[in-house]
Amino acid sequence: MQRVPITLTVNGRSISAEVEARMTLADFLREQLGLTGTKLGCEHGVCGSCTVLWDGAAVRSCLVLAAQADGANLTTIEGLATGEAMHPVQQAFWEHHGLQCGFCTPGMVLTAVALLEENPAPSEEEIREALSGNLCRCTGYQNIVRAVRAAAEQMQAGRGS
Amino acid sequence: MKPAAFAYERPGTLGEALEALARHGSDAQPLAGGQSLVPMLSLRLARPALLVDLGRLAGLDELVVRNGAVEIGAMVRQRRLERDPLVAQHVPVLAAATRYVGHPSIRNRGTLGGSLAHADPSAEYPAVALAVDAEMVVRSARGERTIPARDFFLGPFTTALAEDELLVAIRFPALPAGAGWGVEEIARRHGDFALAGAVAVLERGPDGTCSRASVALFGVATRPLRATAVEQALVGRVLDNVTLREAAALAADAIDEPLSDVHGSATYRRQVTPVVVRRAIEAAAARAGF
Amino acid sequence: MTLQILPRGKWVGARVKRVEDPRFLTGEARYLADIQIPGTVHAAFVRSPYGHARIRRIETSAAEALPGVIAVYTAEDVAALPPLASGLPIEGLKPTPQSVLAKDKVRFVGEAVAVVVAENRYIAEDAAELVEVEYEPLPAVTHAERAMAADAPILHEDLGTNVVYQKVTTLGDVEGAFAQADRVFRRRFHTNRFVASPMETRGCLSVYERASGQLTFYSSTQMPHMLRLFLSLFLGIPEHKVRVISPEVGGGFGQKMTIYPEEVVIAYLGKVLGRPVKWVEDRWENLAAATHAKEQIIELEAAVRADGKVLGMKARLIGDGGAYSFNTASALIEPLAAAGIVPGVYDIAAYQHEVIAVCTNKAPVGAFRAVGWTAAQTARELFFDEIARELGLDPAEFRRRNLISEFPHTTVTGMVYDSGSYRESLERALQLVGYDELRRRQAELRQQGRYLGIGISLYVEPTAWGSEIALQAGFPFPSHDNATVTIDPTGKVRVAVSVHSHGQGHETTLAQVAAEILGVSIDDVIVEHGDTERAPWGMGTYASRSAVIGGGMVALAAQEVREKVLRVASRLLEVAPEDLEIQDGTVFVRGAPDRSLSMFQVAFAAYLDGRVRAEGEEPLLSATKFYDPRATYSNGCIVTVCEVDGETGLVRLDKIVAVEDCGTMLNPMIVEGQVMGAIAQGIGGALYEAMVYDENGQLLTDSFVTYALPTATEVPELVIDHLETPSPVTIGGIKGIGEGGLLASPASVAGAVLDAIWPAGRAIEELPLTPERVLGALQKQGGA
Repeated sequence: MQRVPITLTVNGRSISAEVEARMTLADFLREQLGLTGTKLGCEHGVCGSCTVLWDGAAVRSCLVLAAQADGANLTTIEGLATGEAMHPVQQAFWEHHGLQCGFCTPGMVLTAVALLEENPAPSEEEIREALSGNLCRCTGYQNIVRAVRAAAEQMQAGRGS
Repeated sequence: MKPAAFAYERPGTLGEALEALARHGSDAQPLAGGQSLVPMLSLRLARPALLVDLGRLAGLDELVVRNGAVEIGAMVRQRRLERDPLVAQHVPVLAAATRYVGHPSIRNRGTLGGSLAHADPSAEYPAVALAVDAEMVVRSARGERTIPARDFFLGPFTTALAEDELLVAIRFPALPAGAGWGVEEIARRHGDFALAGAVAVLERGPDGTCSRASVALFGVATRPLRATAVEQALVGRVLDNVTLREAAALAADAIDEPLSDVHGSATYRRQVTPVVVRRAIEAAAARAGF
Repeated sequence: MTLQILPRGKWVGARVKRVEDPRFLTGEARYLADIQIPGTVHAAFVRSPYGHARIRRIETSAAEALPGVIAVYTAEDVAALPPLASGLPIEGLKPTPQSVLAKDKVRFVGEAVAVVVAENRYIAEDAAELVEVEYEPLPAVTHAERAMAADAPILHEDLGTNVVYQKVTTLGDVEGAFAQADRVFRRRFHTNRFVASPMETRGCLSVYERASGQLTFYSSTQMPHMLRLFLSLFLGIPEHKVRVISPEVGGGFGQKMTIYPEEVVIAYLGKVLGRPVKWVEDRWENLAAATHAKEQIIELEAAVRADGKVLGMKARLIGDGGAYSFNTASALIEPLAAAGIVPGVYDIAAYQHEVIAVCTNKAPVGAFRAVGWTAAQTARELFFDEIARELGLDPAEFRRRNLISEFPHTTVTGMVYDSGSYRESLERALQLVGYDELRRRQAELRQQGRYLGIGISLYVEPTAWGSEIALQAGFPFPSHDNATVTIDPTGKVRVAVSVHSHGQGHETTLAQVAAEILGVSIDDVIVEHGDTERAPWGMGTYASRSAVIGGGMVALAAQEVREKVLRVASRLLEVAPEDLEIQDGTVFVRGAPDRSLSMFQVAFAAYLDGRVRAEGEEPLLSATKFYDPRATYSNGCIVTVCEVDGETGLVRLDKIVAVEDCGTMLNPMIVEGQVMGAIAQGIGGALYEAMVYDENGQLLTDSFVTYALPTATEVPELVIDHLETPSPVTIGGIKGIGEGGLLASPASVAGAVLDAIWPAGRAIEELPLTPERVLGALQKQGGA
């Protein structure tokens, strides 16, 4: 069985590994690195539960082969908080009841983080559009949108206006 | 839902990649962004013996203006097309169409070349390429050739690429300043594949009539189509609402091999084709100064 | 058991943010797939590609020979395992036992035929492809009425029919009502087959210790204790050696409220293979083989007086049960539940219903949020809208003229509505949406060729599924749930409950109840659930039961522990227990707050100071209480505003207003979350979601590409408003809330669309209202 060597950075840590070519990045993160915060909801790129950040941009890890991630700089949900301090998006989801069963939450949070990185003051419509690639079956999305709005305001304020 | 096994190569140069394709022919599948191929691998709908990962190849992600065209490397990520100033200036219809392509996380990885080579009949980029008469720059170990968009899309997921050929760049003729364009799509949900879509480019001549009309349809047939009847009904005319509506009414004539699935039957798509065309040419006409 | 014991102070009724959230937000929460035990091997099922076929031969040698494969099992190899069957004791219900691996025949695409166990899932899937199954395809039947025909292909040959139940029930003077009517109306609806589709698929992990004979079974289930009971019986393992752990569950909505063939097989494999065996369902499997829901063919008739009063109704409800009358509650789960709720909030004195349950070559039907009730509500509300229009009445006014307004009210079907605010919820919803102004605007826009629509769905919701309400709803299911509240020596509180959260926030809401009664902070309370070793016996979480039953049993247990605390404190402080209060974890003498002890001090003394122990008293600061509530019913009103694009049939939802009344709310934030999530599912059911089979039984909607869930751009602004009519029959006056949104919103959303295109909607019998259906209706009418 062919093993492909990869070296990448995950949550600030440099990782060297060998992967089977057909292994998806999602499975690599979950099974080989034990980072199970990234979820598999569909394995065909629709639900967004597997979303991670690659150089800060949201990507669906079930649609990337681990082998393709050689040289990548990834952030998973486990790498979002700084020590004990949650990221403002995580905090906002908590304040605004933006999660129920929590399964879509890692992907949803990271997608929101990527959105706010690009667009620090999105409108409600822009938030909904940006999140429309992340399925949630529990919340009906409204509190998630509110949470992202609140996080945006918090982060703008934090930047010191 | 795990992929079946395949051999994997990650060539460092285009030559190596082409050589791999030449050697393995139909057993080899190139991997660009993977946003269409990887799910097919996971669903085991695609079972290549060899995957040739293009991710390391340099030089395939350039974006330049040359000889009146925007030349875009096949590996340029879709997300880049949304915001690139050269695209915005010279082929704005490409940037506009990008907003309909999947979702941002898909566009962060998906490539222009990958989408065109995949040739999903419901995809936006093939229709844009068709509407502006783009040219596909294709390489193989045997050399290079150019295929006009008109001759490139042959059927569902089928292009004119030979087994050993790779799409390396696409030349989009720059739209003249003042040209109007429109991209409209009917889909059930935001980001879904189109049930019917249209890309329109119109130009207004000095005499106030339409000097050029390109209308390409997607999502309604086995490959993107030019709605030539619509185009002919627009050229030479002053584009008022009545003319636009009458021209759009001819749109479904172009549909020879219709698409049909659980989201919309062929009948439905045919019914809404004139609607989406009308909306696209109305937007284009307004932008063109009519 | 007293009913007023639920105080409302700092915690009950407060919008407390959820204590469980941090671990979900940081990725630490472990769902079934995340549990990694060394030595685990992985299963993949070989599933039928045919809707109906005989199994002629299965050849597993090629699969077994693949490196990394541990075993391949077929029905023959698991002959020791009994088939699953519904235990519902209803006379006339024909049994359709389901072998855990298909034996002799397959009856739906996705039915499990064999299972491969390998070192990892990749190899297991490779091997699954190498299992050769020789099928002899049979004609399939995928339409319930077709399945009832004399010449239909028969799924269960020993029954000689696909009809597993058929019964007519006449309640009140139906003949008289129809004789007296000024008008008789008829309508038929075929509600769509749509599914729970939780974001986390099913999965289980079987760990068996040979030496001790102990089975630890992890499963993404809503009912850990029931699962333990069934596994013990099916596998012949003594129940006290079976432990079921339901870890974090990523949504269930009823789909995980049953025992599945896959669970029995995996549990068994863990036992026989001597290594932990894990199965994580993939999305294809979940769409094809996890239970389906909601599909019924409902024909309604109404006997109506000229002024709009409905004198009587008839209903014929055909439940499309899929291939097996599934073990949860049989193929009756949809049509029988539906039959009971057809009258709804309306005062219908005479009612006849015919309930029919039919088997078809599709996945079996099970529970999904508001099972049975969604279909009935959809059919009846849309029917009433049409009757209203035919009579020239505004749909709201028509409803007003038929509402039940006095409580308690016993319906013609035997449901006892304990209390409700039907009229108030209707008026409030109409007010919030600006109804009169909307009707004016609708007329204006019609002149311009635009289609604005308003849909009203007024509903009553049976909640808190316990013995009494189950019986009233038609299902004789005894129910039994327990909570244990314990204060440890350092004064910390543990609340162990038999309900199990899969998103509803029990760790917060039930902690709120305990904290309120014990006088401590919720920071000092932990709620334990999901592990049969730590949680006391009960039925699990489904059917909107946890606030009432969980809240009630926690209240009862906490109250008893409180009394123990006060008795101990009274001896330490040398006052009568009645003179003591507890607040913020401090026990003090009323009026003399300096005479106090912390909970720590009292608890420590209770355990370790022999002087405070009284004769004949149990010193342990713990109590276990059971609660099986009286029947209690929630209600509400959902109004949807939409605009239909007349050229494409696309629907844009502008706003949805939901007024709901679930009595006393433990945590309004959580209530709103439940309502909004349920409404989003209803939008899916009304406009986007359908499980589609072709006439050969091939499943056409088997991925998220073809099965379309609503996303953030398809759900509009949701305005949620609360009324509070406490239940007179439950502890604290609490009523359940989880299902109302899905019970009522498809009717509201579909009603708005039909209202928008009226009279074109008359032709529409089927949901979802895809653009094609809507455009088709408009064109038939000549409106497009």
